[in-house]
Amino acid sequence: MIEHLIVLLVVLPILGAAVPPLASLRYDRVGWAVATATTLGHAAFAAALAWTVWTDGTVRYAVGGFAAPYGIELVADGLTILLVALVSAVSLGVLAYARHAGPHANTFYSQFLLLVAGLSGMTVTGDVFNLYVFLEITGLAAYGLVASGPGARSAVAALKYLVIGTIGASLYLLGVGYALAATGTLNMADLSVKLAEVGYDSTLVLTAFGLIVAGLTVKVALFPLHTWQPDAYADSLDSVSAFISALVSTVSAYALARVLFSVFTVDFLEAVPTARWALVGVACVSIVAGSGLAVAQSDVRRMLAYSSVSQFGLVIAGFAIATPLAVVGATVHLVGHAVMKGGLFAVTGIIERRTGATTVGGYAGMGGRVPVAAGVFTLLALAMVGVPPAIGFVGKWYIVLGAVDAGVWPVVVVLLASTLLTLAYFARLGERLYFAEPTITSGSTAATDGGESVSTGMIVTVVVAAVLAVALTAAVPVIDQLIDQTVFELIRQ
Amino acid sequence: MSTDDAGRNAGDADGAAGPDAADSPDADGDEAAPGLYVESTIIMTTVRLVSPFILTFALFIMFHGADTPGGGFQGGVIAGSVVMMLAFAYGIDSTRQWLDGRVIAALASGGVYVFVGIGLGAIALGGQFLQYAEYEALFGHAIKYAIELVELSIGAIVAAVAIGLFFLLAAGFDHAIEEDPS
Repeated sequence: MIEHLIVLLVVLPILGAAVPPLASLRYDRVGWAVATATTLGHAAFAAALAWTVWTDGTVRYAVGGFAAPYGIELVADGLTILLVALVSAVSLGVLAYARHAGPHANTFYSQFLLLVAGLSGMTVTGDVFNLYVFLEITGLAAYGLVASGPGARSAVAALKYLVIGTIGASLYLLGVGYALAATGTLNMADLSVKLAEVGYDSTLVLTAFGLIVAGLTVKVALFPLHTWQPDAYADSLDSVSAFISALVSTVSAYALARVLFSVFTVDFLEAVPTARWALVGVACVSIVAGSGLAVAQSDVRRMLAYSSVSQFGLVIAGFAIATPLAVVGATVHLVGHAVMKGGLFAVTGIIERRTGATTVGGYAGMGGRVPVAAGVFTLLALAMVGVPPAIGFVGKWYIVLGAVDAGVWPVVVVLLASTLLTLAYFARLGERLYFAEPTITSGSTAATDGGESVSTGMIVTVVVAAVLAVALTAAVPVIDQLIDQTVFELIRQ
Repeated sequence: MSTDDAGRNAGDADGAAGPDAADSPDADGDEAAPGLYVESTIIMTTVRLVSPFILTFALFIMFHGADTPGGGFQGGVIAGSVVMMLAFAYGIDSTRQWLDGRVIAALASGGVYVFVGIGLGAIALGGQFLQYAEYEALFGHAIKYAIELVELSIGAIVAAVAIGLFFLLAAGFDHAIEEDPS
């Protein structure tokens, strides 16, 4: 049983996703219960898999019993189990939030579980074509979830997301095609050897790299290719935006790291400096442009969305620098950002339900009206800026150290500048929350939306996110060791 | 401007007709779908003749997934197209009544269960997920039968999703705004 855990991580959510359509013939609101039971099972499997990898090292699984270079291989190493654990934990958090916040439709939870299946699949796969399949499952489920919001805006956002996301996935598939033409294999471990044999200066290999990275960059939402992301985050339901902002881009960034280190390897980056500098360049532009656009927003959720563009620039810059320190920093920031951004989106949902405030102006004076939510928001925002005990600081610190070590000074400059910009837009919100006169009076909000209530589960979710944003700092040595076990092997190869 | 008005009128008419049709299933079909469905003997006869062949062709494609070009995805889409053809010939509402929603849900979810069941069954017999060879001990040519069964289940899922999407789109967007405020 224990060796099948890795495949069950993907199969279980798919199995769960098939339950609500049948159940809804008889019962109205069983989706949440089914999703929760399935996700709890997923979490148990993830924990068991994490323990196996922690004690016995990398787990490999040949699906269908077909041996590795020919069949589909699933691989779990230190980086994988970190992401699998993140997917499980965030899913449970979002379910706790959605219990009361909705939506309550059974079909929503089918899509939710399909998204969990797609994300788990992307995380554990060791095959570049299989990664494409799970990329598509993730994408399709995410488009559907974005569209589940009320009104036309979420439908338009979903359509935009669909078109741009499909282009990104197609670019990735095209790149995989070039890699297959160059090497004749799709297995990641096999590709890393064969690509080196073909030669890193081969046009096929270079084109494959460009297309694969461009495709995944669309999914991560780096600056020029981010245009789907603010609408998708800002115009969807709060449960959905918390879930998607925390996981979808995160797992795509993980996939990019996987492609960089497991498929093309650091040797490729060494051999083709142009590729590395192009990636660092895109990341730097993304950091600056994302922060700049975030400062210019008046809608809080849109601001958070642009902030993600900037933060993922940081993560990808860390991966592209590819020294051990920078990779640890990027991974820590990847996980930390997921917790912080998911929490921030959830807490904006709470503030909106309580007070009706959605804009920076509307947040004025809300510190007194919704003390817990405002406190959590401020704490998470400070963590995002990178105030020391929080996880946001550790990630940035390692990335800066890595950049200084590698002598990549532009990243250092850009990172410090973006931290100031991040401080600028979050400080503006903090000032509004606590030191400004309310622009929305409590009388007017009782009428809006029929005074939506906020459950304990929602509050607990965001408080846990805030606690984790600080407490995860204690887990950094563990993350360090996990990556030491696996990724550094790849880097040293 | 005029086209815009026309579009809005058509939308209004649909909105008015939708709830009526839902409330009284015995209402006249002609009133429920104004101007969309034309009863044509030629189309109905053609569809009646062609449908069995297309459904057979769909199964043919599905069964060919194992060793020749074909498979569940292509076959499923063809099978789904049969229902769409019926809907164009006999009207969407009557087709919807003829094909129960439960059948569609059962096909979609059942397909997933069959697929996953075959995969997990191999694990139960001591192999890897989807290791068809494990079934050889139980009966002959099990690898082929298992692959065909997987193709059929994929076909069922694809057909059900295609039909479901078609009916959802055909129903318009009035029903989509039944947000539950709780």
